[in-house]
Amino acid sequence: MAGYIPHARLGAQETAVSLRFRKVAPRALLHVLAVVLLLIHLVPVIWVLSSSFRTNVNMYNPDQWIPHPATTEHYTNLFTFLPNMGRYLVNTIRIAGLSTVGQLLSCSMAAYALARLRFPGRKTMVLILLLTMMVPAQATLVPVYVLFRRLGWINTPLPFIVPAFFGGAYGTFFFRQFFLTIPRELEDAALVDGASRTRIYWSIIVPLSTPAFVTMGILSFVGGWNAFFGPNIFLQKQDQWTLTQGLNYLTGRYTSQWGEIMAGVVLMSLPIVVLDLAAQRYFVEGITFTGIKA
Amino acid sequence: MPEMTIGARTRRGPSRQARREWLAAYAFLTPQMLGLLIFLAGPLLVSIYYTFTKWDLVAPAPTWIGLANWRHLFEDPRIGKVLWNTIRFILTGTTSFLVLSLAVALLVNQGLRGTPVMRTLFFLPWVLSQVAVGTTWKWLLNTRSGPIVQAFKLFGLRSPEWLLDARYAMIAIAMATTWQALGFGMTIYLAGLQGIPQHLYDAAKVDGANAWQRFRYVTFPSLSPVIFFLTVTSLIAAFQLYDPVVMMTSGGVGIAPGGPKDSTRTIVLYLQNQMFSYSEKLSGLGYAATIAWVLAALIFVVTLIQWRAARWWVFYGGEED
Repeated sequence: MAGYIPHARLGAQETAVSLRFRKVAPRALLHVLAVVLLLIHLVPVIWVLSSSFRTNVNMYNPDQWIPHPATTEHYTNLFTFLPNMGRYLVNTIRIAGLSTVGQLLSCSMAAYALARLRFPGRKTMVLILLLTMMVPAQATLVPVYVLFRRLGWINTPLPFIVPAFFGGAYGTFFFRQFFLTIPRELEDAALVDGASRTRIYWSIIVPLSTPAFVTMGILSFVGGWNAFFGPNIFLQKQDQWTLTQGLNYLTGRYTSQWGEIMAGVVLMSLPIVVLDLAAQRYFVEGITFTGIKA
Repeated sequence: MPEMTIGARTRRGPSRQARREWLAAYAFLTPQMLGLLIFLAGPLLVSIYYTFTKWDLVAPAPTWIGLANWRHLFEDPRIGKVLWNTIRFILTGTTSFLVLSLAVALLVNQGLRGTPVMRTLFFLPWVLSQVAVGTTWKWLLNTRSGPIVQAFKLFGLRSPEWLLDARYAMIAIAMATTWQALGFGMTIYLAGLQGIPQHLYDAAKVDGANAWQRFRYVTFPSLSPVIFFLTVTSLIAAFQLYDPVVMMTSGGVGIAPGGPKDSTRTIVLYLQNQMFSYSEKLSGLGYAATIAWVLAALIFVVTLIQWRAARWWVFYGGEED
């Protein structure tokens, strides 16, 4: 690329300083833009954080961005009000973790077949998958409840875990869209070498799609972590409750423990934030990997 | 590789190679298909049956009432209203979600300093539970002390009474959902952006493409499968909008269920409302199932149109057909 002039439009009269400026200024502007956007974006989050440290009297006071006096009583209260917090945590991790494993495995397998293999009825199957996403959950709620009750799954985590191992339209559609962007050449080479489809899926498709797996993994985990509608219907016994159900217990008909709820929301968000930060490494890996291909 | 025509048919039917590929495909698809059959197709068939019945869940079994539910649906004046509410959400909330989360993803993908932290912070609202999002936005939009009203004042403007005004309540919901889902959309867009090979950009630069041209001719086509995915799924989600509407405009002091003048009653909220009503002629459960089926049919048509339109703008780098 020796003969390539990066800024062809630059005239000869431009000095080295202005050239440097033209290169640096847009990047500085981008940084400023990103920080400003982020600050606006985080206003509601800051409010949640700040109200978790506010005293009850000041809960709705608009001048209390920085709580004064600040208190940690909501955090300590949380554990007195909800003595079974540890139990809820275990329940939530079990539901979110196992359903994520199930989703990633079966959705990506189905997606591989739909994106890459040729077989009669492939297009119909993609269409059926899409169709299933169009049915509102409310439409099947009563029959599904009756089914789970017959199976004896009410008040167990099974309604969330078992169906996850049978895949889901959203995840499958997601992986299909990603697999379609992977060039075929690598796979064709492996086929010539006599690799089986399972081997190609496991040693080529999966590693090449690390960012997609990490993305879906986090989204699916967060979905399970914060799920409310489902647990409310299938988990009525206290010892099976999830964290969200525990927190919701604090919103009463007439009075709500807002400070404790906000404290709970902050605590509940922390593990996900840590998880997300830890996942960044794999996102970066994904970049370098796809940079080499093609 | 010319001699490796995968799945090619000979005159005597599919080759052995093709058959093996079929088998592999069906094996990969088995769990998914079983799941659909057990947890979806079965319950769906049962719910079709419900549309021809009335049932209060107390009686041992539903009673057959023929087409009464369907006739009622076409005479129900509120169906048009709740449909229009949903369309207003699509025009505001879904559109802003798709555009803004792409903009943020492009910004975060520039390799700025602190990118990992930025990603996580943009993602943060998606992590918060619905309970927090609803209450926080009610406070943000509070007519007396909320920061959004204060910001309007700062520019000498009069803020609308967001959640109390039929013209603005749905826009307020659109703002809240866009805010919450922004990081979710960004995450999915970013996963797609990172799959775009760098050499395509290098080649475009060599050809003298400017930033817009690089977006138009490299980023957009490479990202189109992901954009398509988000468009299809977020439209489906928009038709099924429920949680934020309940959290922000149902109940509470001065706010009627369904929002001011019913302006935020969505199809699914209406469905839910109907589920537990019961009269001589109809039952909630049957009528709710009927609404659900109409909703599904509507989403089907919208998705089909998108699917058809996709061949004009969605580009798959790895697919041959």
